[in-house]
Amino acid sequence: MNKKIVSIFFLLVIFVSITFVYSYYTSNNNEQQYNSPIQKIDENDISEEIDETFIDEDDEIEIGEMV
Amino acid sequence: MKKILTALMMLMILLSIPSLAIADETEEENGTEDPEIDNDTKKELEIMNFSLGAEIRLLQLQKAIIKNILKGEMAVEVLKALYFNTTTLEEILSNLKNLLEDVKAVNTSSNNSVQIFVELKYEAKNLTRQFRETIKDILDAEKLKEIRERIKNMISEDLQNYSKQIRNKIKQFNRNRLYQLYGIIGEANNSFINEYLNGNITLDQLKFQLCKTINYMNKERKYEIFSEIKKDNIKNKIKAQESYNNIKNKGKGKGYGAGK
Repeated sequence: MNKKIVSIFFLLVIFVSITFVYSYYTSNNNEQQYNSPIQKIDENDISEEIDETFIDEDDEIEIGEMV
Repeated sequence: MKKILTALMMLMILLSIPSLAIADETEEENGTEDPEIDNDTKKELEIMNFSLGAEIRLLQLQKAIIKNILKGEMAVEVLKALYFNTTTLEEILSNLKNLLEDVKAVNTSSNNSVQIFVELKYEAKNLTRQFRETIKDILDAEKLKEIRERIKNMISEDLQNYSKQIRNKIKQFNRNRLYQLYGIIGEANNSFINEYLNGNITLDQLKFQLCKTINYMNKERKYEIFSEIKKDNIKNKIKAQESYNNIKNKGKGKGYGAGK
């Protein structure tokens, strides 16, 4: 019986630790995005911002098809 | 034994609730989106903070309406040849033509040009939908497919002129934005701009060159430039959102920007 209790207790500890680690990792990741973007800039980030600055020459407005 | 198990279960639930709440909160923060906003229209408004941008959007709307008028007229011709009653369709086309005149008459430098653009685009979508639904009631799927095929490869000089005009305006707009970017970077390459305007280099090549210039800089300078560009883009997005909110508040219930 004692063995069962110990194993359930261990399972509980593992489960709670995983939940804590997951939540800590998720919130920590977001903080990093806001607080230290300088470390995160890569070529893609710059390229995305440059893309947004210009308009594509073939850009069109869609109002739907008649038929 | 049962008591111990129940106590353990309770403890487990109590411990996991707060941590799950933290994780859930962060996910909620990331995924907020207004479902009512038509993303295409919202994106289109971003360049309308600039007078040239407003001009481009209105020209594009004119082109889209003309394209649909021409397609509609062709469809009506086909229907007339098959002795169908086309009165309702012709009425819708006449409304589209009036709408086109309204779009042409918009003053791009006026303060409410954004609101007018959204209203007119909404009306154009509405009339197009009306036409599509009316013709769907008259013809069967096979005949519709036949007409669709006939008008698909439609060539119009008027449309080609519009395309040229829009392309030139977009080039001017991009040139202005390029000067702004060079202002941020701190060095201008005039020959590069001229090459783009003359069509010797494409927009993609120009963007690639700009990225290369920025990426050659040191980390701090790169960050400074990146922040400035991002700040400008966010400002434009905020202005577009403000315009959109104003329109939504004024035209509540009209459903601007919704549905195609």
